[in-house]
Amino acid sequence: MLQTQTPMPVLPESLRALIGVRKTRQCLVTARDIKRFAQAIGAPSPSDSDEALLAPALFCQTMTFEDLPIEALPADGSPAELDLPLPAQRVVGGGSEYVINRRVRAGEVITVVSRLKDVVPRQGKSGLLYLLVVETGFTDQKGCPVATEVATYIKRP
Amino acid sequence: MMLIPRAADLLSGEPAFPVRLPPLLVTPTAAHLFMFSAATWNRHHIHYSAQAARAEGHGDVVVHRGLIGNYLARMLTNWLGNRGEIRSLSWKVVRSAGPGRPLRCEGEVVSQEVHHPHRRLQCELRVVDAEHNLIAQGAAGLELEVHG
Repeated sequence: MLQTQTPMPVLPESLRALIGVRKTRQCLVTARDIKRFAQAIGAPSPSDSDEALLAPALFCQTMTFEDLPIEALPADGSPAELDLPLPAQRVVGGGSEYVINRRVRAGEVITVVSRLKDVVPRQGKSGLLYLLVVETGFTDQKGCPVATEVATYIKRP
Repeated sequence: MMLIPRAADLLSGEPAFPVRLPPLLVTPTAAHLFMFSAATWNRHHIHYSAQAARAEGHGDVVVHRGLIGNYLARMLTNWLGNRGEIRSLSWKVVRSAGPGRPLRCEGEVVSQEVHHPHRRLQCELRVVDAEHNLIAQGAAGLELEVHG
């Protein structure tokens, strides 16, 4: 039997203009950041005597979102990176793909480059939803890659 | 399926793949979610306000996608010890998890390739709740030092 598919909406130009735009910032990683992250994920907390504290594998998550004041975020407090001109307000994390070249150490300055990689409309069980794909690259002071994340978020009306 | 307690034990023989990884059992609390929100500067209200989370269709505040990934990473790091590193990790959340509910991270090493002086291991991973509902599934690539 021939099945008909619901046509996917065309993304507005105001949204398409945001795809691929890179934002760059730098973050100094402190021993305190590493300890707090380790405690937040329930991993053993490194001690002060550990030379050049080595961060947990996914520590770069602490640098994914911009350090914006809450007034600059959407009303639901979700990351500004996901505040896009779409007829959808509810957002939830979908998945992540990490490539980890090496772990971060305390004292490093990491350059973070993020971009909205794609927005994909999709027909879900309860209606139209949008997959927001955000790519974030993390490099060290020599320009060498430390990690890359491609994260997918799901946004629904 | 054989369980190999530590990655180093993999080097002492030629096991038949897949081999099971020691699982990690965790029960995230609301305090853990709060700490993870703070550490990652994530202020999305579904992670701290049960009222807001319910208004958006969740049963309770939602365990972060990122935190679930860290539980998988912890399982892998525990197994690797000082003999290797996680080189890739991907996961997809298929069902929301809430605080106070036990989660079990589990998985298998499904294949290995020898790239002297390392072995590259591919793993399949899952997170399930106490009712055996699948919360997340994923995959990882590990690099294991042959000579530690």
